Amino acid sequence: MADSIIIETLYPEFANLFGDLMNTGYLKKCIPDGTFIDTNLFDEPAFVSQDVSMVFMGAMSEKQQELVVHALTPYRERITELIDKGCIFLMTGNAMEIFGNYIENEDESRIDCLGLFDTYARRFMFKRHNSYILGEFQDMKLLGFKSQFSHSYGDNSDCYFYKVTTGCGINPDSDLEGLRKNNFYGTYTIGPFLISNPLFVKYLMTLMGIENPELAFEDTITNAYNSRVRQFETFKSH
Amino acid sequence: MKKTLRFRFALFIGKAAYRTGKLLKMNASHFPGRLAINLCPDFLGRIDKPEKIVCVTGTNGKTTACNMILDVLSDCGYDVLNNRAGSNLNAGIATALLSHSTLGGKVKHKLALFEVDERSSKLIYPFIHPDFAVCTNLFRDSLQRNAHTEYIFNLISDHIPKDTHMILNADDAISSGLAPDNKRTYYSIAHMETDHDEDINIINDARICPKCYHLLKYNYLKYHHIGNAYCPNCGFTSPESDYAALPDFDAGTITVKHGDADETYPLITDSIFNTYNQVTAIAVLRELGLSPEEISSSFAKVKVLETRYSSKEANGVEVITHLSKGFNPIACSCVFEFVSRQPGEKEVILMLGDIYGHSHSPEIVTWMYDADFEYLNQPDINHLIICGERCEDYKLRLLLAGVSEDKITCVPDEAKAHEYLRLDKTEKVFILHQVYATTAAAVAQNKIIDRLISK
Ligand SMILES: [Zn+2]
Repeated sequence: MADSIIIETLYPEFANLFGDLMNTGYLKKCIPDGTFIDTNLFDEPAFVSQDVSMVFMGAMSEKQQELVVHALTPYRERITELIDKGCIFLMTGNAMEIFGNYIENEDESRIDCLGLFDTYARRFMFKRHNSYILGEFQDMKLLGFKSQFSHSYGDNSDCYFYKVTTGCGINPDSDLEGLRKNNFYGTYTIGPFLISNPLFVKYLMTLMGIENPELAFEDTITNAYNSRVRQFETFKSH
Repeated sequence: MKKTLRFRFALFIGKAAYRTGKLLKMNASHFPGRLAINLCPDFLGRIDKPEKIVCVTGTNGKTTACNMILDVLSDCGYDVLNNRAGSNLNAGIATALLSHSTLGGKVKHKLALFEVDERSSKLIYPFIHPDFAVCTNLFRDSLQRNAHTEYIFNLISDHIPKDTHMILNADDAISSGLAPDNKRTYYSIAHMETDHDEDINIINDARICPKCYHLLKYNYLKYHHIGNAYCPNCGFTSPESDYAALPDFDAGTITVKHGDADETYPLITDSIFNTYNQVTAIAVLRELGLSPEEISSSFAKVKVLETRYSSKEANGVEVITHLSKGFNPIACSCVFEFVSRQPGEKEVILMLGDIYGHSHSPEIVTWMYDADFEYLNQPDINHLIICGERCEDYKLRLLLAGVSEDKITCVPDEAKAHEYLRLDKTEKVFILHQVYATTAAAVAQNKIIDRLISK
């Protein structure tokens, strides 16, 4: 089964601001027989011509978001089709914003995005938001760090990723983190999201058809995760 | 700018605060300036300034480069107004200026050199209007404060006055593009045998062309994105250098090609990172009009740069503490690379955790995945001890770097770390520590020496 798994990373040459590439780096250790494809900005994504198992994209700069919108717009219909088919998408940091309706600058100018979710992002370039969040997805606790200039607005009550119990969701007044549709998962949390959430890695591996998935360095990653959950819960009670 | 009543009042209060601070033997390098700016927001614009102002900014090396420039200028008899003792924010510069000005707002110095925090560009450059603005390099830094290089680039580039002369690192495809319409001078380090032709680090902040966004290629790379770049798609290249340096670490000299002449200077460092800082200093000093002979004879007197490490030895084992600015992946990668190059069988203690910061919020660990822990995966690094509450995170990072599990010991209590050293065939012990853990590292060093003596 694992030898038919194809995982594509979009634009790793720049969408990697906060150690994001270790998400697929870790998946490589967990799924050594999988095929991992890196797609650069001016290349046609692999997902256009084949049914990949998963598409990953990490955080990037504001200018680079515009480049990515431009690059992915021609494939809007295909992305919709893949999401409907249940292909996994994992978007960390501001990569998620590209799938909403638009991104608004402080001068109210707008960058039209893919419009697959009925949300929009607003940038606050002189107000960087740093926080950590803890929440619940199905029967697992998910957590992560945020460091961003922008927030998303609009109603994500029927398309959120997970409900937070500590910290905020897609904007400081929301407790619904991220975007989700079928197996599309978008989260503002940055960097090695999968490393911080080993239970979610197992969940993704199951979605990819791997029975009884085993994690790389399972004991260590589980200990690190349990210890961080305890730490996040301790801070919550402060 | 006119000296308004408001400005005069702010200057008076600022000077009074400075004198009071001095009398009370407090470090008065920030507060008086902050007070003056609070009272008069354009204080920096209104106060008299020296005839010539040089500002130095950049992610890494700005303090070192400033110190070198100041040391040479002082040795050559210049009296330079500067913020070496204080902060590199607008308040630090205001304090430096007000403390050396008369109550009428006059300043006697002819020359000023200021280190400038990148994020304070907007509050500094438009007001003090530097003659020269120097940028050592731009890298990703604290993600919480600095976000990414594009953000910092825009902050600097948007606020540099049009007639400021830029002095820039040609080997940095990011910062070499600052203030593109300004007059500019470039420096670089020429190709060396030790260079690489492809990425060797996890981070390269300049993988894409700043003009057309296609993948950049490098004729040679020194470290991370520092090197000579070109774009096969649009023809972009690293700029031609006005001061092209070539260090000779064996001879302890650095030759700088400037125009048709080769100038030779004593090399005052043994690392490529600090060689860049020295070349920055040479370019600035030459542009200020100093002769190669003046600079050379002063460099000969400047103390050789010390890396931030201390070494003790007992029973044939060297125990070294080395500062490793945690949360800064570039700085950590440099230290890991340094350790990997040291000969001998080694054990390494890592005290990188944020032992104070985490009392306010959980320790952010994303930087670990940007830092090249892979350097610590070496056959002659026999044992790694990881300290602190988050040791499992570091263990996971080391495992992902390929270090075998039997080489890793987790010791949450860093005061006990030294007890777990094996010291069987060990020739060197490295204690790599955060700024916060400087004392803990020194204590551990002494305890290891005691243990070695009583062995
Ligand atoms: Zn180009």
